[in-house]
Amino acid sequence: MTDESMREAMLESVALYALGVLPREETALVAAFIANDDEARREYDELRAAATALAHTADEPVDSARSARLKERLMARVRADAASGRMTAARGSAAYPAWMWGTGLAAAAAVVFSVVTVAQDVNTRGELAAAQRRAATLAVELAESQRSGAAENRTLTDLLAPDARRYAVAPGTVIVRRDRVYFAFSKLGALPKGRVYQAWTAPRGSTTMAPSVTFTPNSDGVAIVALPVDATRVGTVAVSVEPEGGSKAPTTTPTFVRPLS
Amino acid sequence: MDPGVRLMERVQARDVAAFESLYDSYHRLVFGIGLRILGDPTMAEDLTQTVFLKVWTAPEAFRGGSFVAWVSRVARNRALDVLRARSVRPEIEIPADLPLEGSLDDDVLTRLDAQRVRDALAQLPPEQRGLIEMGFFGGVTHQELARRTDTPLGTVKTRIRSGLRRLRQALGEHAAP
Repeated sequence: MTDESMREAMLESVALYALGVLPREETALVAAFIANDDEARREYDELRAAATALAHTADEPVDSARSARLKERLMARVRADAASGRMTAARGSAAYPAWMWGTGLAAAAAVVFSVVTVAQDVNTRGELAAAQRRAATLAVELAESQRSGAAENRTLTDLLAPDARRYAVAPGTVIVRRDRVYFAFSKLGALPKGRVYQAWTAPRGSTTMAPSVTFTPNSDGVAIVALPVDATRVGTVAVSVEPEGGSKAPTTTPTFVRPLS
Repeated sequence: MDPGVRLMERVQARDVAAFESLYDSYHRLVFGIGLRILGDPTMAEDLTQTVFLKVWTAPEAFRGGSFVAWVSRVARNRALDVLRARSVRPEIEIPADLPLEGSLDDDVLTRLDAQRVRDALAQLPPEQRGLIEMGFFGGVTHQELARRTDTPLGTVKTRIRSGLRRLRQALGEHAAP
């Protein structure tokens, strides 16, 4: 398949994604393509508007007895809640901790992606490995329970958002939205056995790189990574190739170093 | 401005009357989406209650844009969740949710109504229209669409893309000020 025909096939997948008929395991791949391609992003915005408009065709009169019963039930709960001053249900259905943003995506895209997220600061190899195992376990649990939709949606929404800041780097794009930062790579080189890619971050005003997550792309060189950092405090991000388990400081020439400004 | 947006601002301030107005304005849409996807009035009723309770308990989940577009996506995604939960046929593939935040064209949706969208949809060739409707409301993937309609996968993809582009063009004409 030529590059042009592959690109056309991906644009067709953008339409499927906009309509919401892609299987979960393919959504991350298409999201990465959209995140890295201006034309795909324009097409996605156009077609998603059309797809969302389809919902209007479902706007039909509701049986009056059913409507009245439903309203009475709902308003009773809302009035009681307002009177008591407490919420009737837990606030924020997407209330996953920050470090789990990417694990929902991992559950969705385990076949084709390595999505790596870890908790808080992880500075030693042991902690990195343990955190990765924990993330993998969580990914499986989330996939099994099918409760990952909100977290996954947040990640995908961030990747595709018109207001996200995008920084081109050799293997793809660094995406920053609000306090979150992601790598959406589609051109990562294959790694020798025993090696992984590792992310690095430096605070604003500093050149000292702190170790972040390790990750491995799929066979097509694609990886989406949610960094477990507060993007508002990060001045520079980088990626290098490191031994499995990660390093405390870069041991090879970075694949890229990108200031976020 | 989308009237739903103003009402949501008041709902965030715990204004019960504003919530009631939102319900009166949009419950038909939410119920209709539930009914089309789930095919059962009682389940659609439960879905409607779930969606509007979310509006009340987590109004901060709406972060601007078009309220009607947002609530439509919430309703569809919740309906797909229900389909997944009750799925007893693993061979049926359930598609991904739609991302929830507004797109560049959400304001266009605010100016549309059901009849205009139906008119625009009616302009599509039947083979494109059928796939798009079945895909959006059927809760199945494009592979499942290909199987159900006995159509090659590549043809399904092409028809959906062409159909959505034509629909967007037709809606753009309708929605022009």
